[in-house]
Amino acid sequence: MRRYGRTVVIIAVLVVLAGLALGFQTINIGNFERGSDTPLGLSLGLDLQGGSHLVYEADLRDPETNERLEVTEDQMESLKRTIERRVNSSGLGEPIIQLLDSDRLLIQLPGVTDPERAKSLIGETALLEFKHRQLAVPRDIEEITQDDVLGITVDLLADPDAATTTAAATSTPAAVDDDPVVLMVEFSESGVIEFRTVLDRLMGSFLTASAQQQTGRIPPVPSLLNVTVEGVQQLRFDATVLTIAPIGTSTTYAIGFPVDSVTGEPPTIEEARSQVGDEAKIFFTEIQSYVDEDIGLTGEKLSRAFPSQHGGSGAPIVNIEFDDEGTRIFGKLTEDIVIKQEATGQSDQIAIFLDDEELISPVVQTAITAGTAIIQGRDFTLERVRDISLLLESGRLPIPITLIQERDVDAILGEDSLAKSVVAGAVGLGLVLLFMTAYYRLPGLLASIALIIYATLVLGIFKMLPVTLTLSGVAAAILSIGMAVDANILIFERMKDELRAGRTLLSAINIGFDRAWPAIRDGNVSTLITCGILFWFADQLGATIVQGFAATLAIGVVVSMFSAITISRTLLRLASMTRLTRSLTWWTPSGASGLPQQATAAEQRS
Amino acid sequence: MDFVGKRGWFFVTSLLVIAPGIVFLIIAPGLKPGIDFTGGSAVTLEFQDDVTQTPLREELADLGYPDATIQKLESNTFFIRTKELSGAAKESMIASLESTLSPSGVLELSFYLVSPVVASETVLNAVYAVLAAAVGIFFYVWWAFRNVPSPFRYGLAAIAALVHDAVIVIGIFAILGVVADIEVGTMFLIAILTVIGYSVNDTIVVFDRIRENVLTYPNRELAEVVNLSISETIGRSLNTSLTLLFTLMAMILFGGATIREFLLVLLVGVVAGTYSSIGLASQLLVSWEYGDLRRILGRRSSEAAATA
Repeated sequence: MRRYGRTVVIIAVLVVLAGLALGFQTINIGNFERGSDTPLGLSLGLDLQGGSHLVYEADLRDPETNERLEVTEDQMESLKRTIERRVNSSGLGEPIIQLLDSDRLLIQLPGVTDPERAKSLIGETALLEFKHRQLAVPRDIEEITQDDVLGITVDLLADPDAATTTAAATSTPAAVDDDPVVLMVEFSESGVIEFRTVLDRLMGSFLTASAQQQTGRIPPVPSLLNVTVEGVQQLRFDATVLTIAPIGTSTTYAIGFPVDSVTGEPPTIEEARSQVGDEAKIFFTEIQSYVDEDIGLTGEKLSRAFPSQHGGSGAPIVNIEFDDEGTRIFGKLTEDIVIKQEATGQSDQIAIFLDDEELISPVVQTAITAGTAIIQGRDFTLERVRDISLLLESGRLPIPITLIQERDVDAILGEDSLAKSVVAGAVGLGLVLLFMTAYYRLPGLLASIALIIYATLVLGIFKMLPVTLTLSGVAAAILSIGMAVDANILIFERMKDELRAGRTLLSAINIGFDRAWPAIRDGNVSTLITCGILFWFADQLGATIVQGFAATLAIGVVVSMFSAITISRTLLRLASMTRLTRSLTWWTPSGASGLPQQATAAEQRS
Repeated sequence: MDFVGKRGWFFVTSLLVIAPGIVFLIIAPGLKPGIDFTGGSAVTLEFQDDVTQTPLREELADLGYPDATIQKLESNTFFIRTKELSGAAKESMIASLESTLSPSGVLELSFYLVSPVVASETVLNAVYAVLAAAVGIFFYVWWAFRNVPSPFRYGLAAIAALVHDAVIVIGIFAILGVVADIEVGTMFLIAILTVIGYSVNDTIVVFDRIRENVLTYPNRELAEVVNLSISETIGRSLNTSLTLLFTLMAMILFGGATIREFLLVLLVGVVAGTYSSIGLASQLLVSWEYGDLRRILGRRSSEAAATA
C-alpha cells in the first residue's frame, strides 16, 4: 500500500480540488473570480446558455445638418469585423454577430453577467482624441480691471477665526505663524464676483490634483494665481488657493505675503509696508494647471492598439500604431513636447480622451516619429493594459452606432431541448459504465470510478481556466471521454491476455499497462498534434469554432491519458493488494474461464 | 477468421458506400449549406397565448423550417432565424402559427434579413486546417512506426482511412440533403472534426498491434501478421465502438431535437471509423505489400471481363 501512497495522495488532492472548484457555485479569491449561476458554475457558450441580445443601429449623421446618412455595405462589414475582433479579444466568449438588413447589427454575447461592461466594450459612438496637454499656461484675467480694485493695504491677519469661514483658509500654512503678514485687497462689488470665479477654478484644480495624488498618479501642479504688485518695489509671486482667504463676508480678500527670496523668511510687517507703499497697483494672472490643446489627432488615425509586456522589464504596456497622417501629427506633437521640455523644463503630456473622458495622460520621453509608441504606467496591470487597448481600439469604430434593443436571450440550442439531451447523455454514459463493469467485472468498476474522477478533473479545469464550453467543446469532451474509455478497454484486454498466459494478478496488471501504453500514447499524441495544428491554423485564419474545439480536446486528451495511466492503474494495484484477489473470476471478463484455449486456437488458425 | 483474404470485399464495400455520396456531392447541389453559412431572415414574434419552444419548433418544422433556430427573448416572445423568407412566406408562416399555437393572435415585432453567422471562408479555412493536421498525423505515424519495415505506408494508410471516413460522412449528408432536405451548419463542421479525431485514434490502435506482432514474428508473412492483429484487436474495437454507439443512440432517441444532426454525424462517423481501421487501413498495408493494384491492372489487361 505504501508504495502507491504518494500517487494516491496526489490523485486525492486533485479530485478534492476539482470537486471544491465545482462544488462552489462562485469562487472569489482576491482578483481571481470564477463561476456564475450556470450548472456547476461552468462558463457556457451562447449555444448552451444564452446571454445578451443587443441590436445596434448605424447612426452616421451629416456633421452640419445632423441628418442621418446612408451607410454602405463596406462600412457595415468593417463595423462588424471591428466589433467581432474586440469581443473576441475581451474574453467575453464567442459572440454571434450578424447584420440585420442594411443598417443594423445584432450582437449576442454568451452569459454576460455585466451588460454594462459588454456595452462599454462594444463601444457605441466613442470618439477618441489625442490632445497636447500643455502645463502651466498663463491666462490673463481681463475681467478684473484696475477699477475693480478699491485698495491695497498690508496688514496682519489678526483674527484667525475670520479665516475659518472657508475650507481653504483653515489649512493656512504654518510658515505664517500667529499673525501672518498679508496683502489686504479690497474689490468692488463686481470685481469680487470675478475674483471668486477665479478662486473657484483654483480650488477645483487643487482638489483634482489631490485626488489624483491619492490614486498614485502624477498630477500636474494645480493652477496658481500669479500676483504682481507695482508698489515701491515690484513684487511678483504665485499664490495658491490655500494662501488666499476672504475677510468676513465682505469684498476684501487677504493674500499671504511671499517669503523673502534671499532669507526664506516671511517679511515683518514694516518691511512689507515699505515694499508696497501707498500707491500700489495689483495685477492678476492665472497660471492654469494645464490646457489640452486640440491637435486634430483622432481615433481614425490610430491603426492599432494592443497590450503586451515590456521586452526588458516584463511590465505590462500598451502598444499604439498610427497611420501615415497620424504618424506625422504624433511625431510633431512629441517633438514639440521634447523641445519645450529642454527649453523650460516642463514635461507636457499627451492626454487621451474617449468621449471627452480622460483615459490616460502619459508623459513623453523622446520624440517619436516612426508612428509606433508604447505607453507605460506605474499602476498598469495586465488587465488594465488590456482594457486600455480595447478602449483605444474602440475609438476606431468606422461608423457611430446606437443601441436600440437590449434583451436577455436563451440558448440557441433551446433550454428544453438541451435539458433532454443532458439527461439522455448522462443515461448513455451510465450505461457505458454499467457495461464496462458487467463485462470486465472489477477492473471495469475501477475504470468507471476512474472515468468519474476524469470527468470531475476535466470539468474542474474547464471552470478554473476558464474554458467557455460550447457545443464544439462538448464534442471534444465526448471524444476525449471516448478515448479514455478506449484506453481502459485496451488495458483490460491486455490484462486478460496476460492472465490467460498464467501470470499472477499484479504482473498481469503491470504488463497489461506496459503493453497497452504504446497504442494509448500514439493515439493520444497524434490527437494532440492534430489539436495543435488545428488551433494554430484556426488562429491564423480566424476560425474560432475550430479553435475552441482544438483547445478543449487537447485538455481532455491530456487528462484522459493521466486518468487511464495513473488513476486506473493505481486503483487496480490497490485492489490487487486486498482480499479481492481471492477470486480470479472478479478480475476476468464474463465467460473468460475457457478463454486460454480459445486464444490458442485463434493463434493456430491464423 | 480470415480478414485479410477478403480484402477485396472490404474495398468493394467501402467503394459502394462512398460512391453514391461522391456522386451526390459532385452533382449539384452537393451539401446544402444551412442558415449559419447562408444567412436568411430573422423575425421576432410575440404570441398572445402561452407558447413554449418545443411545440413551436415542431410546428415550424411542419411548416417547412426544420432548421430554424429559436431563441426565447421573454416568455412568449421568440427570436426566430430561418432561411430567407419572402414577405408572403412570412405572412403565411405567422398565419399558420396563429391558427395552431396562438389563436388570440401573434404580433410581429421585427423582421430582418440576416447575414451569415459564419463566413464561408471559415469553412474553407477549416478544411485547410484539417489538411495541415492530416500532414502532421502522417509524419507522426511515419515516425512512430520507424522500427517496422516501410513505416511510410502506415502513415499513408492512416490518412487514407481518415479521408475515407470524412468522405463517407460528407457524402451521406449530401444524399440526405437531396432526399431529406437536411442542411449542414457549424455543428456539422464540428462533428466532422470529431469523426476525424476518432478515426485516427482507432486506426492507430490496430496499427499498434500490427507493429508489435511484426516485431514479435519477424519471419511471418505480413498478411498473416495483419490478420492475427485484427483478430486480437477486434474485441476491443467492437467494445469501444459499441459503447460509443450506445451512448449516441441514447442521445439521439431520448435527447433534444436541436443536436440530433450533430449526433447523427458522430454515429455514422464512429461506424465508419471502426470499419475503416480494420477494413481499409490494415488491408491497404497488405495490398501494398503484395502489389494488388498492379496485379488487378495486369489481370484487367489480359482478361477482358475481370472483376475485383
